[in-house]
Amino acid sequence: MSDELSVVGKRLPRWGASEKATGAARFLADIKLPGMLVGKILFSPHAHARILKIDTSKAEKLPGVEAVVTWQDVPKNLYNPNKLDLILVHPELEFKDMYVLSEKARFVGDRIAAVAAVDASVAQRALELIEVNYEALPAVFDPVEAMKPGAARIHDYAENNVSVRFGFPVAWGDVEKGFQEADVVVEETFRTAGNHICQMEPCTCIASFAADGRLTIWSPSQHPFLHRRKLAEIFGMPEGRIKWITPHVGGAFGKYGSLSLEPVCAALAKKAGRPVKLEFSREEDLFGTEPRQRYISSGKIGVKKDGSIIALQEKMIVDGGAYYTHNFSTTAVNMGGFTGLYRCPNVAAEATCVYSNVPPTGGVRGYGNHEGTCVLEQLVDAAARKIGMDPLEMRLKNAKKAGDPSSTGIPMETCTFEEMIKLGAEKIGWKEKRLRKKETGPKRYGIGMGIAMDVSGAQPFNIQHRNAFIKFNEDGSANLLVNAADLGQNIIGALMQIAAETLGLKYGDIHVVAGDTDSTLYDIGQHASGGTYQIGHAVINAAEEAKKDLFARAAGRLGVPADDLEVKAGRISAKSDPTKEVSVGEVVKEAMYNFKGEHLNISGKGSFSPTLNPPPFSVVFTEVEVDTETGEVKVLKILYLADPGKAINPATVEGQLEGAIAQSLGYVLSEDYAINKKTGVLESDNFNTYKLVSALDMPETEVILYEKPVPSGPFGAKGVAQGAMIAVTPSIANAIYDAVGVFITDMPATPEKILAALNRR
Amino acid sequence: MKPFEYLEPSTVKEATQLLSDYGEKAQVLAGGVHLVPKMRKGEIEMEYLVNIQRIPGLDYVEPEGKQGLKFGAMCKLRSMEISRTIQNDYPVLYEAIHQITSVQAKYMGTAVGNLCVATPASDVATALFALGAELNIAGAHGERVEPVEKFYLGYHRTSLKRGEIVLGVFLPKLPQGTGTSFLNLVRTHSDIAKISVAVAVTLKDGICREARIAIGAAAPTVFRAAKAELELKDQKLTPQLINQAAGTAAGETRPISDLRSSAEYRKKTAKVLVRRGLEKALERARAQA
Amino acid sequence: MKREIATFKINGWSYEVIITPNMTLSELLRGPLDMTGTKHACEVGQCGSCTVLVDGKPMLSCSTLAIAVRDKEILTIEGLSQGAPLHPLQQAFLDTGAIQCGFCTPGMIMMAKAFLDENPNPTRQEVKEGLGGNLCRCTGYVKIVDAVMAAAETMRKGGK
Repeated sequence: MSDELSVVGKRLPRWGASEKATGAARFLADIKLPGMLVGKILFSPHAHARILKIDTSKAEKLPGVEAVVTWQDVPKNLYNPNKLDLILVHPELEFKDMYVLSEKARFVGDRIAAVAAVDASVAQRALELIEVNYEALPAVFDPVEAMKPGAARIHDYAENNVSVRFGFPVAWGDVEKGFQEADVVVEETFRTAGNHICQMEPCTCIASFAADGRLTIWSPSQHPFLHRRKLAEIFGMPEGRIKWITPHVGGAFGKYGSLSLEPVCAALAKKAGRPVKLEFSREEDLFGTEPRQRYISSGKIGVKKDGSIIALQEKMIVDGGAYYTHNFSTTAVNMGGFTGLYRCPNVAAEATCVYSNVPPTGGVRGYGNHEGTCVLEQLVDAAARKIGMDPLEMRLKNAKKAGDPSSTGIPMETCTFEEMIKLGAEKIGWKEKRLRKKETGPKRYGIGMGIAMDVSGAQPFNIQHRNAFIKFNEDGSANLLVNAADLGQNIIGALMQIAAETLGLKYGDIHVVAGDTDSTLYDIGQHASGGTYQIGHAVINAAEEAKKDLFARAAGRLGVPADDLEVKAGRISAKSDPTKEVSVGEVVKEAMYNFKGEHLNISGKGSFSPTLNPPPFSVVFTEVEVDTETGEVKVLKILYLADPGKAINPATVEGQLEGAIAQSLGYVLSEDYAINKKTGVLESDNFNTYKLVSALDMPETEVILYEKPVPSGPFGAKGVAQGAMIAVTPSIANAIYDAVGVFITDMPATPEKILAALNRR
Repeated sequence: MKPFEYLEPSTVKEATQLLSDYGEKAQVLAGGVHLVPKMRKGEIEMEYLVNIQRIPGLDYVEPEGKQGLKFGAMCKLRSMEISRTIQNDYPVLYEAIHQITSVQAKYMGTAVGNLCVATPASDVATALFALGAELNIAGAHGERVEPVEKFYLGYHRTSLKRGEIVLGVFLPKLPQGTGTSFLNLVRTHSDIAKISVAVAVTLKDGICREARIAIGAAAPTVFRAAKAELELKDQKLTPQLINQAAGTAAGETRPISDLRSSAEYRKKTAKVLVRRGLEKALERARAQA
Repeated sequence: MKREIATFKINGWSYEVIITPNMTLSELLRGPLDMTGTKHACEVGQCGSCTVLVDGKPMLSCSTLAIAVRDKEILTIEGLSQGAPLHPLQQAFLDTGAIQCGFCTPGMIMMAKAFLDENPNPTRQEVKEGLGGNLCRCTGYVKIVDAVMAAAETMRKGGK
């Protein structure tokens, strides 16, 4: 048999696709349970206020209201909705500052009370009947203001509203010396945008206590086991008393690395004694779930005349919003991305995380690396300009190579920056376009690039523990049990392809059970693009174990040693004599139904914990046209080269990159999470005011998968999705600078800002 | 959505009678694209909802003899978009409608409904200002005709009196030698305009006999830049004159700063868009000669 | 507010439902009729996820009062294929990888159907214009446009 892969690497329809195409797929808001109630949350209208008194009596008396809860009714354990405190090697800086319902209002939209009623209009009416006496306090909406002495304190423990100050723990060299030795130093302060990921499905949760007190949660969480443990701790329940189900999820992008509605929903279900569905509207999702942090990032780069980068420093003030959530972890990853992308002998970074009275932030796509790299890549271009060097050449000079440590510090098995930069330059016509005659008319062409590396999981910073289980059916098909749920990234399809390839079955012969903590083995959950790389290995391990028993049985039946056997397309045959063959199903059936007492449901269990973390690499080129009379930016073309190691499903990988292009476009140009600086109200609270990119806003795109399999990856595969935006964002910014010589320090780079910057020159 | 009494009149007379009876307690439902979401969010409430969708004879777009074109209160934007007459004879209106990206909104929404919302940021209204549209209004006391420039009394305020409803709109035929253009600036293609400009320039023997410059989203209502128009009337349109008039037009704007843009940006870009709009309209007018 | 029995013709079947005038078509579909394929992603008519066909025309069901469309022919995503085989649009979405999380998919497919019914031989740019009112956060629209172009070809060749 050939070594050619028959399932892995193919553009197969993703798992669940036909259900989604026919409308049969049930997302959270589509699920109905007998006796289910509608839950709604009462949000604070104040950005900062003490709660003096809450009177729920009128609401409780309203016919159709089954439960009303305030902070007095819910568990009083502080927690952090971010799952990392359970798995971080160093969890000391994951502070807990949140209650299920807030004892004090810290932003417009903070959760004060909740109701469960027979329908939405009764629930709405009940909210209106809850009387809350607030004592409004002065509010701060800017981290610099928040740190000033005399500013109202948001959390009792945080003096000057500073939650934590820390330096990058793995800094190296001596940056001061480095900057002295540099021939050119560029320093610039950026304010990165705190946009919202706006997954298409508004956040929803269902909770139901059974008669025996066991709780079932339906949730979009990316970490069912971790969040189950968190919820259990909050409610003082044993973990095994909670069953956590993940149905189809309409987009997560990292945001559901945080608990969202589960604690409130469970509290309502407990009090009501009936299932409760809490469904956010789009407005509630926008202010009530986590946007990105805003970093005030002062970046400094020192280079020699020959283009070598010899010093990199980042100093940040992190505006993390009203609660701590992912403040520390995203900032640390930001620092890692900033200091770790290029070869540089001297790096340092420090940050001050600050509270302010705006919605708490979270960890979404890029997880800080996106913002750190965006700042870095613009500084690299600036430094190149200052020494008169082509920024592409400068990147080639400083790009890491195989064997260098990635930004996680782990040595890289491969590195394709050089190849992809050169290939991309040729394809886009970089040299010719940069040497072009400059236009004189109002429209200016620009070309820019960006590179990035991200991760395939969070090794070595977290516990990364995966499991998979495979069992065979009489027809020769296999059930694959994994906890990972489909958030839209098709992890399940990828794992099916890996399972099928390893087991020698067809794609359609793998039936998946997923998203259920009762029936699947433990998995830390999906984050940091660790799914394919890590769970893929667990699946391979499970498949190999199942194959051992399969071959042992078949060997006896065929009269050949087990190591002489191979399996393809559901048939097991002897390599030495292919006429000796039997179907997988026959072997499985025989093991189930025999009168010899030699019974076995052939199956396999696989575990995996990684030691390596091979980064996916991306190189992006962007062409723009800037109208200097209006400041408008038209993105003409984006060329995206990505190295995913091995694309288990190329259509899936391309889809991630194309989607990331759209998200980057929005991040750079049109998405404005506009919080009113006087009231703290989110003014861009739906899609008519918060502008996502539509099909008409997309430029011409070309995606090239430059696959260089990593030895440590399942079939050579790495992660892709989390890091997919990172190189795109600065490539657009750099293209704009090439066109009109304007630094985008404050995204979104609206035409208003660009025009103002052009007029200032 | 708050409860209301739902009424489905089957004639214009019934509708105007109901609106007359209930006055401010009633709202009209035409396409619903604007109204229904606001009702759901509680931003607009009413005791009576008067649905005019089932009144026959309001859904048309057709030539009005040789004098021009007319369209009815229930004529959808989509019908107007695919109308050959509008594409050929009123291209500025076609362009304003075509750049609306939501196809669904164009199938559901009506131009008249759009006008009655009375937002200054209406691309359709801006185009209709440049075309000298006339509104046919019916009330309990009979019908009247109102030029679109007089229809707006202020921000979100029309001249409709109690019991009145817009039946349709008449567009006079554009004079021979008229070139038009429509331009706007948006954050994304699907967004409401930060500023929009619709221009009509009529040339005769190389001289501009009349210029109409309509500007949207730069004042409490859509308006015509009358001072700028006067500077161009009966003049040869040189680049300098066009530039000067564009500056005058920008000076006539009274923009605000809001979520979409700043007053300063709107004022600056008004000049750019008017200039570009005049250049394009002039080019098209010349092409006709 | 008056509750009344209204008859709705959806996907070829007649349904008698008790409604109140303040119910939107999407609430009717997702609630008492349990046709949850039609989605709520914004409910202000901005995203297209609630798109259904009413007398063959694409409408935003979140911005349509149910009572206003009684006795009209309504087609939802559930009615597109009525079991195997899939409609060419559905098959094309599967084959090209145009579905990621799938939340925008029903509205996208219904809009694409209405678009192709009127314009069976479009350019890519025309397809983008046809889908201008449908938001997707996962795909960047590239494979969605691929899928519509592929389905158009299948349908022109007589595929159903």
